[in-house]
Amino acid sequence: MSARLLSGALAVVIAVILIGSTGCERDVDTLGPAEFPTDPEIFLDGFGPGVQYQAFAGSKVTALSIDADTKRAGERSLRFTIPNFGDPAGSYAGGALVSSGRNLAGYNAMTFWAKASVAATLDLVGIGNDNTGTSRFVATRSGLQVNTIWTKYVVPIPASSKLTEEGGLFFFAEGPENNNGYELWFDEVQFERLGTIAQPRPSFTSQTVSLQVGDSVTVSGANVVFDVAGSDVTVDAMPGYFTFSSSDNAVATVGADGVIRAAGLGTAFITATLDTIAAPDTITVTVEDAPPGPTVAAPTPTVPPGDVISLFSNAYSNVTVDTWSADWDDADLADIQIAGNDTKLYSNLSFAGVEFTSSLIDASAMTHFHMDVWTPDPTGAPAVFKIKLVDFGADGAFGGGDDVEHELTLDNTTTPAMATGTWVGLDIPLSDFVGLTTQGHLAQLIISGDPNTVYVDNVYLYAASTPSEPAVAAPTPTEPAGNVISLYSDAYTDVTVDTWSAPWDNADLTDTTVAGDDTKLYTNLVFAGIEFTSAPVDATSMTHFHMDIWTPDPTAAPAVFRIKLVDFGADGAFGGGDDVEHELTFDAASTPPLVTGNWISFDIPLTDFINLTTTGHLAQMILTADPGPNTVYVDNIYFYGPGGTPTEPATAAPTPTYPAGDVISLYSNVYTDVTVDTWSAPWDNADLTDTTVAGYDTKLYTNVVFAGIEFASQTIDATAMTHFRMDIWTPDSTATPAVFRIKLVDFGADGAFGGGDDAEHELTFDATSTPPLVTGNWISFDIPLTDFTNLTTTGHLAQLIFVADPGPNTIYVDNVLLHR
Amino acid sequence: MKTTQTVLLFASLLLLAVGLVGCSDSTSSEEEWQLVWQDEFTGPAGQSPDAGKWDYDIGTDWGNAQLEYDTDRPENVSLDGNGHLAIVAREESYQQRNYTSARINTRDLFEPTYGRFEARMRMPSGQGLWPAFWLLGANIDSVGWPQCGEIDIMEYRGQEPLFVHGSLHGPGYSGQQAVTQRFSLVNDRFDTGFHTFAIEWRPNEIKWFVDGTLYHTATPADVSGEWVYDHPFYIILNLAVGGNYVGPPDAGTSFPQTLLIDWVRVYRAVP
Repeated sequence: MSARLLSGALAVVIAVILIGSTGCERDVDTLGPAEFPTDPEIFLDGFGPGVQYQAFAGSKVTALSIDADTKRAGERSLRFTIPNFGDPAGSYAGGALVSSGRNLAGYNAMTFWAKASVAATLDLVGIGNDNTGTSRFVATRSGLQVNTIWTKYVVPIPASSKLTEEGGLFFFAEGPENNNGYELWFDEVQFERLGTIAQPRPSFTSQTVSLQVGDSVTVSGANVVFDVAGSDVTVDAMPGYFTFSSSDNAVATVGADGVIRAAGLGTAFITATLDTIAAPDTITVTVEDAPPGPTVAAPTPTVPPGDVISLFSNAYSNVTVDTWSADWDDADLADIQIAGNDTKLYSNLSFAGVEFTSSLIDASAMTHFHMDVWTPDPTGAPAVFKIKLVDFGADGAFGGGDDVEHELTLDNTTTPAMATGTWVGLDIPLSDFVGLTTQGHLAQLIISGDPNTVYVDNVYLYAASTPSEPAVAAPTPTEPAGNVISLYSDAYTDVTVDTWSAPWDNADLTDTTVAGDDTKLYTNLVFAGIEFTSAPVDATSMTHFHMDIWTPDPTAAPAVFRIKLVDFGADGAFGGGDDVEHELTFDAASTPPLVTGNWISFDIPLTDFINLTTTGHLAQMILTADPGPNTVYVDNIYFYGPGGTPTEPATAAPTPTYPAGDVISLYSNVYTDVTVDTWSAPWDNADLTDTTVAGYDTKLYTNVVFAGIEFASQTIDATAMTHFRMDIWTPDSTATPAVFRIKLVDFGADGAFGGGDDAEHELTFDATSTPPLVTGNWISFDIPLTDFTNLTTTGHLAQLIFVADPGPNTIYVDNVLLHR
Repeated sequence: MKTTQTVLLFASLLLLAVGLVGCSDSTSSEEEWQLVWQDEFTGPAGQSPDAGKWDYDIGTDWGNAQLEYDTDRPENVSLDGNGHLAIVAREESYQQRNYTSARINTRDLFEPTYGRFEARMRMPSGQGLWPAFWLLGANIDSVGWPQCGEIDIMEYRGQEPLFVHGSLHGPGYSGQQAVTQRFSLVNDRFDTGFHTFAIEWRPNEIKWFVDGTLYHTATPADVSGEWVYDHPFYIILNLAVGGNYVGPPDAGTSFPQTLLIDWVRVYRAVP
């Protein structure tokens, strides 16, 4: 006898028809307004006037009998045999005592006496159910305790003024008690006007509802609590007993049946009275425009169909999806079209379950999950939108211990980012679903989160075709040039590298560009040797090694990429017992991880190269990928230090590579130098020191205003030369107005100062010239002699004067030469 | 009304009441009753009761653990403009109490000995409400309670809308030992309409009536102690909230609640 709800719309099953006495013929000629009888009798010793019994559909229709032995008063009682659990004749006993209508306005209660063969809880008993399915005034008491002695029960009528032609006089419904049937008697069933009933307290369920014009909602939870002789009795009442009113009929109307209909935009308050007593409850109806939706379809996918497993898209053939809103979910789903494009519309979304368990999806060849979403709701914190993928694991079945899943939480700051009021294409690498460790038997997609309304389109998995080359250049380095010793970068002046692919290595090298940025491309890479033995790098003031690489090849284990640095030790030469080296290994799980199709930036503290105990003569770098990516783009290889402008160069000036036969060298470590009379003439305004940088001889000028270098005793015939070369390095500011001027002087045909045939020309360089002046980096001036316009003769070059006023005070100078 | 309930057999009481229905004119006896004091409570709504007839007991507890604070404010006691006096119990924070109400009396204003005392009233509703129409011996300040005597013409528990009680409290028979009798309505209740509550108090005899129906008679033989009802008494009308007699209000008790008094009349016996 669990409480059972009797839908008022039960089909009529007439089990027993016992008409009481009255037939009540009316004289139609004198009939005025219909006057319904006011008889109180329902069943006293027999059915009252015009009363018949109608069993409810599904009930045991033979449950009723008239009992002359057991009765409360008079001769007979109504007896019902409640069926046992499983009784094929019906699972419960229940029905209505109905008439063609009575005027009950003079009564305030239906009363009856009842007893039972065992103590029991009577599910439902009440009035107003005329078994037509159109009852408007059902009033019900639930859970009445009946027992083995006759007891009187009262069903207060919520508002008998409404019952002027009521056909539903009495009804009940009762199922087995602990699965057992029993005998239940009713007697003295009648209407009364009781003085002991007072304080009707009507109520209904207060709520706030949002509707759109045309929507309706029905008042629920209507009941009346009465004080019956000092005890509260609750009668559940149909809304028809109440008189409802709306604060604004232009917004919402409410009918006598409690149906509220949205009429126009705004807010209205629905209240009610029972006779003259106001219920304390209010239904607040907010009528709103339909929430905005997308006006354009989601972007049409462009992934080739062969790379796609589509669950939902007009662009592809879709696989079988069992449901887009599983029965266990909490969301409403509508299939709609946006601009002719099929779209799923989730509303009232708490969480929605999409299931494809009957044909699991093997996504092991897929790389990405895609879904287009559109929501009118907020997508910023704290609002989140969640996507969960579930895989049933190797057994392909729910459970079994191998199910895996992962849920991603997105908002307007994540990647990908959510947004409000626009289509958002969520393109998510399956690898982002970290916990989804198997993807061979995808079974469920669950979306959830704060947006209440979400349009969904183009749900598919796809295999992103890996680009064969980078679309963008490696990130431009941002370390200040002065902190850097660059082996290879368009952002810096590079030191000399002897080879980027030593003869002994196992790799092919191509110089290429990526988006205009010079890049080294290694193919068929097993190991590549990069050598700078001729000018070893002194990285003692450096702290880090940097390199960017990009590969289109798989980087999942067991692929590795190794970087080895070799230092030749204090002797600066291979061997000698002081060479040191260290190799670091990177893979998909390292820091940084190897990834495919993206630039990877290695920023490695030199201290990580543990066995690289000296860094003063770095001479080799060896890149190894075995097993590993065959094709590797490389850029921005440099060492960098802690910052602050160095006071002296960390590396020697770039070593000239001109053939000796094409050079007349005044000063270099590479060539045989001609005689120079002085590197600081007495008449100049500068101090000179001979020093070394990274082991290379270098001139150091300090307090420079202008310096005179003279070779007049053996003038230089540069007529066969085409260029003047000079490398300088300064720790001083080179920003404007700093300038650096180079003047060459030729003594003319007479080979002597004066004589009217001397020629000279001075060139001026600054921060914006070519090349520009920079601080903390070697600057190589390699100047066509033709630039010295007024240097009309070059057969007897005799002086070089450089001026720095205003300009750097301290200047390292190397590789002063002419070449062709 | 310092008293607690005495359980009476409902059946016998019912029989008694039923038996007397119809004998509404049973004021009986040989003497005539002459009206000597009355308040019909006519006047505008919100007007305080006639200061020439009524005084206020202001305070709380009254020895009964009552929860209300009784005030002289019109919101607790005033005319309703329809010929009634309304004593209104309210749920509000006042003087460290959560309820207010009122308690009025005729002390020093009208303190008769013997007579017929009548009031026509409608009871409030709900658990924990305790209205009363009663008399207290005017010598209470000199002899104390219960030596002064207490005649409860009517007491009512809000949770028992079909019943009222009439009681005597005196030396040796006060509180739970009070001499008391219960009256029950049949198919009616005291909070839905007016009913008339009365006693006829004579030397050595007090009779209780509801709507003219005699339901209780007490004589010196009925009390276990001294009969202390031969000196002046004054009238009290009040509406208590909570207290030992009724217990506190519960969630089903709504406020405000009103004891509505149509009139109070006092007669003197004329031989």
